[in-house]
Amino acid sequence: MIEIGVQTKNIVDDICPSNGFSLIKKSGFDCADFSLNSYLSNISLYSLQKNKFFDGTISELEQFFTPHRKGAQEAGIRINQMHMPYPNFVPNGSEDLNDYLSKVVAPKSMQICSFFGCSHIVVHGFKLARFLGSEEAEWNRMENFLSTLAPLAKELNLTLCLENIYSSIGNQIIEGPCCNVHKMIDRIDRFNDKYSAELLGFCFDTGHAKLVGLNFEDFITNLDFRLKVLHIHDNDGIGDLHQLPFTFTKNRENACSTDWSGFIKGMRNVAFDKVLSFETAPVLSSFPGELKNDVLSLIAKVGRYFSDKISRE
Amino acid sequence: MFSVCNLSGIIDVLRPAQGIADVKNVGFNQVMIEIDFRHIQEECQEVDDYGPYIKKYYTRLLDKCNSECIGVYAIRLNYRFGASLPSCSKISLLEIVSASLSALGTMPCDFLILDIQDTGYAKRGESCLTQEECICIANEVKERNTLILFENQYHDFNGNFIRGSFSDASYTRNFIDELNRLAGFERFGLCMNVGTFTLCGQNMQEYASSLGERIKSVILRDCDGIRDASLLPFTSSSGGQSHTDWLSLIRGLREIAFNGGLILDMKDTAASFSTLLRPHLMPLAKETAVYFRWQIELESILQKNKHIVLFGAGNMCRNYMKCYGEKYKPLYTCDNKNELWGTEFCGLEVKSPEALKSLPQNCAIVICNIYYREIEAQIRNMGVSNSIEYFNDEYMPVFHFNRLTRGV
Repeated sequence: MIEIGVQTKNIVDDICPSNGFSLIKKSGFDCADFSLNSYLSNISLYSLQKNKFFDGTISELEQFFTPHRKGAQEAGIRINQMHMPYPNFVPNGSEDLNDYLSKVVAPKSMQICSFFGCSHIVVHGFKLARFLGSEEAEWNRMENFLSTLAPLAKELNLTLCLENIYSSIGNQIIEGPCCNVHKMIDRIDRFNDKYSAELLGFCFDTGHAKLVGLNFEDFITNLDFRLKVLHIHDNDGIGDLHQLPFTFTKNRENACSTDWSGFIKGMRNVAFDKVLSFETAPVLSSFPGELKNDVLSLIAKVGRYFSDKISRE
Repeated sequence: MFSVCNLSGIIDVLRPAQGIADVKNVGFNQVMIEIDFRHIQEECQEVDDYGPYIKKYYTRLLDKCNSECIGVYAIRLNYRFGASLPSCSKISLLEIVSASLSALGTMPCDFLILDIQDTGYAKRGESCLTQEECICIANEVKERNTLILFENQYHDFNGNFIRGSFSDASYTRNFIDELNRLAGFERFGLCMNVGTFTLCGQNMQEYASSLGERIKSVILRDCDGIRDASLLPFTSSSGGQSHTDWLSLIRGLREIAFNGGLILDMKDTAASFSTLLRPHLMPLAKETAVYFRWQIELESILQKNKHIVLFGAGNMCRNYMKCYGEKYKPLYTCDNKNELWGTEFCGLEVKSPEALKSLPQNCAIVICNIYYREIEAQIRNMGVSNSIEYFNDEYMPVFHFNRLTRGV
């Protein structure tokens, strides 16, 4: 049976992480996507600010996360994926800041991932096409960065999962790094061949894909075995809302505006057998706290629905 | 490269005189005529009626174009099929193609643009017409020197836009190449519809770069990325920024040295303006089309002068030097800020504008500052008669990561 997972943000806190993991388990999930990116937010990075969290040594960081690991283990929740802080490069940032991100934050994130016994960490691509002039030039910079992480990834037996993300201009969302599936297949295969290991994989984000008109079935089918982890969520086609699947309609018939049937078909096509992981923290902040348990259960049930449909012949 | 005006929204097909005059008066001498397949099918009982109906419905417009020496650059057939394309509809399509071209009589028409989508195929990004059907259409236009252009589509999934037919660059490239191989010569190509790319958040630069010279035309239209509309470029914006990624388009068209038709499609803007305001709208429309051509061909301005100097020692000069400084090295730059005189900026000596008075006549002055008209007036008032060009850094091949800031 396909496992169901959810991101830890808005569920697991640092004061008593075991409570959050117990809730995840009770709600019907098997796994968790650990939101490591919460410890160094993109908002502060784009404001050219960083905190001291990743200044700690690996031992200090492991000590910090020991209660989290213990909480997950005791609750029977497997940390199947993690999210590296992003961005990994700030275009108008100083050399110091960008070096810190690539040489400190990224490797330490990978080590924390390994500490949790997790083998997949999601990495955002550099958003540099506008500055460097092309998507190819942007990928070349990204590939150089990934190459610096490759030896550690190999040592820790980790797969770095690239995610389809977006850029925006004038409040309008356009495709960003890793949205061309044909190019991504070639790049992932070439990188893995170079290092003779599965160091690169893909994280398919349904919400981001909807925002830039990607065909779910085609994208997933083309990715095939390279698809390692998921970020499942929904939106209105305008903003990256990270809401519950099936929430949004746009026509008189009130039919769902997201192609979940295409998602299911794609997953069937590739015989997906990993974790259906939901990236739905904003659902928990939009519903009142009194309904948190119910909302989480509903998310898990949607996951079971997907699992059932995908597995059905 | 030239500008073409889509007549939809601007003219009344049955009473075209005023609209054609509006178009001609601003300098458009080529137009695109749209034929709505569904309208034809609604008006005609039988497929055999299509030809006479089209001829009757469009004859006044075509006669007017002819008499006013307005060329028909393209006919665009648009239709959305709600289910898999039944064979009778494909026969209807061929009949409409034939009838449309027959209505033209001896008037030349460079392109037949197929804006046709079948939801069953569109979802897979494929063409809803087979190769054989495309070759049949090609045979209809065989006697004319008319190319058939496919157009990138979206698929409307319950109100949300998903990339549809011809949105996948590699599929489209292979499909067109194979058709041209079967035809024995270049009979097929592509028309890029900017608004459709915006609705699907797609990277136009990558697409253009992949398709290259197969792109024969570009339909310029703006929209907010949420609703399908055809607005005058730069009129859909928020937060001071356009909703359309014009940078991506211009970069892509520059990369492929695009030299085809820029078709201005502003039917919704035109329809929402009062006819009384039309004489004020049309000049702006024409200048907008000219502006795109100027941007795409920006480098040609630099190529035509053997020697140049710049005016401006700020961010625009910095961007010029980053992108073009090596290939088209200026002799120096000048600036009105006297504290900069005698200093070096991006490898150029900064001089006083007075230095322009000793320029040889074959040296052009390239203004690298947004206050173009003010600076041009300043130069002319100094008695300098050298050629003046405007440079613009809104759509550079590359950008610096940050902008210079200087004190007031």
